[in-house]
Amino acid sequence: MNRSELLFERPTGLFASEPPETRGHDRDDVRLIVSTPEGDTHHAFTDLPWLLEPGDLVVVNESATLPASLPATCRLGRIRLNLSTRFADDLWLAEPRWSPSIPGPLPLYMKETLKIGEAKAVLLQQYPGLPRLWLTRLDTPASILMAKYGEPIHYSYAPAYPMSNYQTLFSRFPGSAEMPSASRPITPHVRDTLRERGIGIVGVILHTGVSSLEIEDSTVEHQALYPEVFKVPEATANAVNRTHARGGRVIAVGTTVVRALETAWTLKGVRACSGATGLYIHPGTSVHVIDALLTGLHDPVTSHLAMVSAIAGLPRVKRAYAEAIRNRYLWHEFGDSHLLWRQIAN
Amino acid sequence: MKGVALVTGAGRGLGRILATFLAGQGHDLVIASRTPTELHDVARSLESTGVKVVAIPGDITDPLHRTRLLQQTGAIGGLSLLVNNASDLGEIPRPELALASLQRFRMTLETNLIAPIALIQEALPQLEQTRGLVVNISSDASQRGYEHWGIYGSSKAALDLASKTLAAELKPRHISIVSVDPGDMRTRMHQDAFPDEDISDRPLPEVTLPFWAWLVSQHPERITGMRYQAQGTLWEIPA
Repeated sequence: MNRSELLFERPTGLFASEPPETRGHDRDDVRLIVSTPEGDTHHAFTDLPWLLEPGDLVVVNESATLPASLPATCRLGRIRLNLSTRFADDLWLAEPRWSPSIPGPLPLYMKETLKIGEAKAVLLQQYPGLPRLWLTRLDTPASILMAKYGEPIHYSYAPAYPMSNYQTLFSRFPGSAEMPSASRPITPHVRDTLRERGIGIVGVILHTGVSSLEIEDSTVEHQALYPEVFKVPEATANAVNRTHARGGRVIAVGTTVVRALETAWTLKGVRACSGATGLYIHPGTSVHVIDALLTGLHDPVTSHLAMVSAIAGLPRVKRAYAEAIRNRYLWHEFGDSHLLWRQIAN
Repeated sequence: MKGVALVTGAGRGLGRILATFLAGQGHDLVIASRTPTELHDVARSLESTGVKVVAIPGDITDPLHRTRLLQQTGAIGGLSLLVNNASDLGEIPRPELALASLQRFRMTLETNLIAPIALIQEALPQLEQTRGLVVNISSDASQRGYEHWGIYGSSKAALDLASKTLAAELKPRHISIVSVDPGDMRTRMHQDAFPDEDISDRPLPEVTLPFWAWLVSQHPERITGMRYQAQGTLWEIPA
């Protein structure tokens, strides 16, 4: 698939710049567009429990967000170093940027040293196929640097809010560079209503790296993706398999959950599995585990949009996005939600 | 302080990239290769990293060479990461197994199978001291039965099995072993294997760096006995 097929126009006024709660609203006070083969329908997010059936299973990401954006200085002056992916406490994949709103790649060299306070970060090597990301060695554990200097990673459309705005109801295991935001609108009320309706909720862990990458390769399938650390616990694997055996449906909350569950898929169902996954789901690959994806609205030409298109089919995604734009849905982590049922039933 | 790593076949290709990465990570290094000019070039390129780098040219099938390597790792602190990367492709062009020179086959087995095991045997006291990790470089040729890959492939298949066996046997001594298939890469060896082909579509060996970053960050005893594909989509930690 050519990257241009994932292009679409969208007014910048549709970027959500603040969480609903800063305007005195509840987190679940966002809109929900639902896409099925028959068409798109508009709902309040709080309708979610009634859009699912008893016996369905909702799978959330239990990773919590880190204050992964660090102020740094180097030969080029004051920059930001956004930590993306932890290999060890002193070895990370990281993205040097000019500022939250101005991305790289910066003209930096191998072995160049950045300073974060008194600590040093040495750029070891550019990530193969993703030159804006560097394998970076820190002389001070990242946990200490983040506690001292870190703020949440944020971009031009939103300022940095307090960390609590970047955690979800299910955030339990710190490790994500950016909020796994799809479950952000799930409030205790929505969660309890799901459970009362007989809809299960189970968790996986996938620590997200920096945002869904814009596909730079002219061919969508050839884009390099970096791996993410994940875990599908045995209880979750069993719950997914039991749900399918009973004819229920599995709803992934977020692209991270899709990546984790599909990595753990085998011909005999989902298995308990942990490690690092580089799985890239794009049109031309199939999904086997999930029946629907609850997610946000994604940017043009990103790997997330490629995944969404693999699940629901590109024409349906384009139709839904046109409908969302017409109805002024809001994009990004504080924005509105999208529930897509997959294109072929199990 | 990251400990001492020994990388064989470090003069070019994957071995060179890996040695460079490990030095950048803070490992002291002993590097080996049959080609002294290439090896010293690698050592020079690592001078600025601030770690100790000892370059010892030689043939890994030579017991004296192996002993010298391990004397050096011992002298600079004790081996904690052994990368058996040096490999012999065998006859070029690669013959059918049914017609292959058995003498040449034995030489390939000496380099790809016997020498790595010999190094492990001799390194045991150091590896036990450091609770170290051994990485044996494998190949997808070890699993497939590709035509004309019988010699290299069977040497690597045997090495895979030796890795698994050693992992089981050495577990009580806290020494860990994994085998790693780096996948197709644009290296001299790959060009030698496909002399008439344009291999410029293959990725450079740098493509494996994220895997090495991940691997050296794992607790060795949690992954011992595993076989990894460096360019694969899943690097699993067994339950």
